[in-house]
Amino acid sequence: MRGFLPFLGHRLFRALIALWLVSTVVFVVMRLSGDPVPLLLPPDAPHSEILRVRAELGLDRPLPTQYGVFLGNVARGDFGRSIHFREPAFRVVLGYLPATFELGLTAFGLAVVIAVPIGLLSAMRRNSFLDHASMGLALVGQSAPTFFLGILFILLLSLKAGLFPTSGRGDWTHLVLPALTLGAFSMASIARLTRSAILEVLRADYIRTARAKGLSELLVVAKHTLKNAAIPIVTITGLQFGTLLGGAVVTETVFSWPGIGRLAIQSIYNRDYPVVQCTVFLSAAMFVVINFLVDVSYGLLDPRIRSH
Amino acid sequence: MIELTRREVLKGMAGLGAAGALPHILSGSAQAQTTKKRELVVAQGGDISKFDPHFSTSSNDIRVSFNIFDNLTSRHPNGKLYPGLATEWKLEGQTTYRFKLRPGVKWHNGDPFTSADAKFSIERTYDAAAKTMVATALSTIDRIEAPDPLTLVIHTKKPDPLLPARLAFYGGQVVPKKYLEAVGNDAFNAKPVGTGPVRFVSWVKDDKLVLEANPAYWGGKIDADRVVVRSIPEAAPRIAALLKGEVDVITQLPPDHGERVAGNSATKVQGALYAGLYVLAVNSKRPPLDNPLVKQALSLAIDRDAIVKELWRGRGIVPSGPIAKGDNHFDPSLPPLAYNPTEARERLKKAGYKNEEVFIETTVAYVSNDKTMAEAIVAMWRDAGINAKVEVIEYSVRAQKNREKSFKGMFWSDPTSTLGDPDGMMWRLLGPGGPQDYWRQPRFDELGNAARFSVDEKFRGGAYREMTKIFLENFPWIPVIQPYEDYGVQKYVEWTPNPNQQFEIRRFNFKFHRA
Repeated sequence: MRGFLPFLGHRLFRALIALWLVSTVVFVVMRLSGDPVPLLLPPDAPHSEILRVRAELGLDRPLPTQYGVFLGNVARGDFGRSIHFREPAFRVVLGYLPATFELGLTAFGLAVVIAVPIGLLSAMRRNSFLDHASMGLALVGQSAPTFFLGILFILLLSLKAGLFPTSGRGDWTHLVLPALTLGAFSMASIARLTRSAILEVLRADYIRTARAKGLSELLVVAKHTLKNAAIPIVTITGLQFGTLLGGAVVTETVFSWPGIGRLAIQSIYNRDYPVVQCTVFLSAAMFVVINFLVDVSYGLLDPRIRSH
Repeated sequence: MIELTRREVLKGMAGLGAAGALPHILSGSAQAQTTKKRELVVAQGGDISKFDPHFSTSSNDIRVSFNIFDNLTSRHPNGKLYPGLATEWKLEGQTTYRFKLRPGVKWHNGDPFTSADAKFSIERTYDAAAKTMVATALSTIDRIEAPDPLTLVIHTKKPDPLLPARLAFYGGQVVPKKYLEAVGNDAFNAKPVGTGPVRFVSWVKDDKLVLEANPAYWGGKIDADRVVVRSIPEAAPRIAALLKGEVDVITQLPPDHGERVAGNSATKVQGALYAGLYVLAVNSKRPPLDNPLVKQALSLAIDRDAIVKELWRGRGIVPSGPIAKGDNHFDPSLPPLAYNPTEARERLKKAGYKNEEVFIETTVAYVSNDKTMAEAIVAMWRDAGINAKVEVIEYSVRAQKNREKSFKGMFWSDPTSTLGDPDGMMWRLLGPGGPQDYWRQPRFDELGNAARFSVDEKFRGGAYREMTKIFLENFPWIPVIQPYEDYGVQKYVEWTPNPNQQFEIRRFNFKFHRA
């Protein structure tokens, strides 16, 4: 792995730029979108009250000053105090992270464990009943709105069949429906992409060679196909992972799951700038890390990339 | 960002219902109308944000804070004032109230409750240094004395007939002086201590709040050991949780879902006529809405009976004026607001209306059915020859426009009668300098002011009658409906909702049916 350190340094620099850009955009957009103070006070609060609370929260200062303070604080890991909860924003977001990881990881696990074998089998048994059925299902998974799917699961599997609780967080039974709902889209995407990546490789000359020299189909797939099809699969899987961790607004709302997606959307409605900034920053940071890991894995999977 | 409205859920559910997937799912134990439960589970549409009662007035918060804390006075679901932490009170002269406090009451941490707590608590609401969110709730008070541990004397700046009513609502929850001063605001908010029927155990944001019964409650221990409050934001899963028996009570039951809850053998709908009105508030400064004749025509062109029947499934009544039914000085002899499109056209002609655009800037689910009602009303207005339009705005944009008073025409408002009196509703909002001050009329202002500072109820009654008359000529609000606020409740729960969104879980108000 020659040149790994410069590669790492370069990636880190780009990651910092990305985080700075994301924070700045969120800072500006949140402030353009409205004032949190009228949402905090009773509807009949006089104007003087509004001014007082604005000053108390530091929202009366000029935007560039607020921005300077914000950047300085973020550099020290301080995201300010939540306007809505009146406690440090970072602590608020941290409280929501375990639920997000629990749901995101389960959904991701389900998606990978189910989707990769299905994609593989569909490619190997192309145009079979299995292929058509699973790709048809994948199409439904990709196109059905999460919201509809979630309600459908609640009504059929929870209310009618009585298999799972309707909503909330608790033991593993609480996890099944939201994870299926959240994982459905990723599952469908991964299955379809796995299928096409494998098909692509199966057409390659070296596969023909492998078959020609009499290798069993199992060996052909295990030794020659999977590894060569891995790059696109790892890429989409990594991206899906980032999306799943970034918070699942709709799934979390339907199943009243206490994760950061729901926190983010509520904080936007409440104009709770510090919490929105902190959530977006952390989501972006996770995405950057996952992207970085995906990049590094390319090197491991494909020696040609390593040598460049 | 999420474009999922309640409406879409309903559509989804309706489709599934039609497919035969829905009702009569429950059988066996769920049908039981008695229970052995020792835990009451309540699901509301949003989570709590703060426990310190002086830092929030949101309905999701006060449902909880009115149970952790007590007020000096207490408004029961029947709309009347009862003793709370004060056992009796009387007005001395014009501006002095003397309260006798309840002896033997203890805070959840064991400290005794005294008049020093009550004095501290009330003064804290308007103390500039405390920076509360209820600074105006009790601002009619001039000074407070606590001559002995069980006596509180409150002097008001001017005569204030509604002080005992004010003390029953937000801002009036009594907080513990000693504990709060010892731990500070943040620690108090994180671990609140009150005198109420339940005490705080734990809270995981957006997941659940656990409360336990206060065994030494002065009003008697409630009929449960624990109370759990969950937040389930979407209506469909909230109702599913009730139907499946996971929760005992749900709030904010949309009117078009009532039949599902009522039709299920184990659950029932429990409603309270809202202590307030749903109105289209009018920016009367914008032509043509500055012309009273145009506003009269707008009111006459609304078929409110159809709205109540079709959009609310009968869960509401047609208002007769600006005073909600159930409030002080509500006049039962006034007829409901009339629907007469022919007369509406006449008044438009008389007003010299020249087809100017008239806007409703509606929110989506700020009050229930707001967008649907706006669309229906605009269609009725167009039928009457009014060039009406609907524009949809987001909730926080509404808050902004409300603050800047920059609405283009009409907007939804759900004025709550915080004090069970027109002063706490129309005068609080429509009065000079109030949040909906878009229209002034000297006689209306004179009467509103005089009624606010008079302790003579007969005089006040006359003043509000005359103000209603002026209101009905000028329509600073176009009242549309006084709806029922519905809750879904298991049949084994006996509980009466409070019209003003206080969610009282007290012995006089809540009981499990036992086998």
